Amino acid sequence: MTAPAVTGRRYAKAPPSWAGIAPSVVWVMWRREMLRYSRDRSQLFGGLSRTVLWLVILGFGLGAALREIEGYSYAQYILPGVIVLNVLFAALQCAISLVWDRQVGIMREVFVSPSPMLSVALGKLLGGATVSVIQGSIPLLFTPLIGVRLTVWSVLGAWAVMFFLGLFMTALGVIIAARLKTFEGFGSISNGLIQPLYFLSGSIFPLRGVIGGVGFLEIPQHLREELRRLGIFAIGGGWVVQLPGWIQALVYVNPVSYQLDLLRYVLLRFQQLPMAANIAVTFGAAPLAVVFAAWAMRRMASADR
Amino acid sequence: MSLPPERGGSPAASAAAGGPPAVDSGVYTVSAATSAHGGAASTFGSQPAVTVEGLGRRFGDLIAVDSLTFSVAQGEFFALLGPNGAGKTTTIHMLTTLLEPTSGRASVMGYDVAREPQRVRQVLGMVFQDPALDERLTARENLELHAVLYGIPPRERRQAIEQALVWASLVEAADRRVRTFSGGMKRRLELARALMHSPGVLFLDEPTLGLDPQGRRHLWERIDALRREGLTVLMTTHNLPEAEACDRVGIIDAGRLVEIGPPGELVAKHAGEGGDLEDVFIALTGKQLRDEEATARDLMVSFAKRGGEHTR
Repeated sequence: MTAPAVTGRRYAKAPPSWAGIAPSVVWVMWRREMLRYSRDRSQLFGGLSRTVLWLVILGFGLGAALREIEGYSYAQYILPGVIVLNVLFAALQCAISLVWDRQVGIMREVFVSPSPMLSVALGKLLGGATVSVIQGSIPLLFTPLIGVRLTVWSVLGAWAVMFFLGLFMTALGVIIAARLKTFEGFGSISNGLIQPLYFLSGSIFPLRGVIGGVGFLEIPQHLREELRRLGIFAIGGGWVVQLPGWIQALVYVNPVSYQLDLLRYVLLRFQQLPMAANIAVTFGAAPLAVVFAAWAMRRMASADR
Repeated sequence: MSLPPERGGSPAASAAAGGPPAVDSGVYTVSAATSAHGGAASTFGSQPAVTVEGLGRRFGDLIAVDSLTFSVAQGEFFALLGPNGAGKTTTIHMLTTLLEPTSGRASVMGYDVAREPQRVRQVLGMVFQDPALDERLTARENLELHAVLYGIPPRERRQAIEQALVWASLVEAADRRVRTFSGGMKRRLELARALMHSPGVLFLDEPTLGLDPQGRRHLWERIDALRREGLTVLMTTHNLPEAEACDRVGIIDAGRLVEIGPPGELVAKHAGEGGDLEDVFIALTGKQLRDEEATARDLMVSFAKRGGEHTR
């Protein structure tokens, strides 16, 4: 056996790139995220147990008392919220692992390489977004149980929203992770970021709406649709609720509200916020956050101690 | 555990040294091939591999490195010695473009670390103080990642990866996840990885730290084989026998270079008859204990040892 590693080719080249985008680097960093995800069963289990807890147990449990929200069963109403919750967890977990990777993992190896940081960041963010779509799809498996009918288009639409939400949240997480020196637990992220974003997005209670109602669900579908066309969302015993102003204000400033509202429209054809705002936030915030995240990772690479 | 039984690294290298690897006495002796150079920097390649002029780095009020000046010739085997917190790792991080100097300048293979970081990154190989591997990936996957990051063309990648696995004696463990590896296996993998793109200068930050004597010797034999092939190596170490085997050592304390020269000369100058490098080290840096506060990385490592959470 000889030691051939030293001889031969002279030095590395920077991977082929255009304007900071090296497709091979984006691909290899994306693949890394996918391999890591596929080897971490706890994440899949977490997604499943979250779905059962929120969608099935809370959905049917609280649904027994609430009956309906704007004509939807409570479990149906919170379906998009549970998807969003899974996406938030997946994206932030992927992003926060950066703190770990930088201190005791592979990121230092990446930082000393001649690869452009923009491509490294893109691979990471796209990886986080892809994992988000997979984790966010878990609640879709439960739709027969709660009586939501999926079509090819609603699933494709939901995946698109999940992808952009996942991209946005991974980027936001990376911006935060780039500032953290040490990290000893996901708890603070969960309590300090995921839960506020989740609760203040209209995920589990409507901004304003008719709650209650009797027997709407037992009405045949065609009649129900006809009633809805007439503007009747509940019959008998319903009441209009409106959130207190200060909670409403928080919901309006939370970007996740708009992404969630778009997702709810795609899956249930029900929305509470202006569609133009939903589309603008969902598809506009993600690219913007990606730019800031790439910049944060670049700064992190050069300020490593 | 599958540490390969074969000793002596590469037969070719042993032959070049005129016999078995010179590590038998338990002390890392200078091998015949390199001792001929006598450590005089001028006998090596024309342009220095590493040049450092007045290099400094401060973090707020703290001066981590205060005006270092030295150079490492091509083909030289150079060690930076110093107590904890002396600025060794900070210096290496500046030379490898991870940290920008706040004063002075430095270049690697003629490229300025501040002005041409991209160039510098292409010519250096780096092994960090603690493993910079993805523990959830296999050895092969870690090497694949490296091959892409260093722009090794797709058609050469397979061969480069196989060579690295053979070199690290990890062929059988290639498809195991790195988290199942021993400390020695991880180090060998990292060293092989750092050589995949044929760097001009290899930086090793405490390469044998935390290894058992067997792992330490095995790794040292690999490093020794490299020097005989003429690779420039700049390492930091706490291990004085290892430093004694280098062509030259630089001793730094409190961010300043206090002495530099071949180990033999330093011993003669500061320790006298019967002394060794440890005597020199203590004579120059004092007996005072250097306690450091735990860094963020230390906290993370201890957190990892307690089981970590979620992120692995």
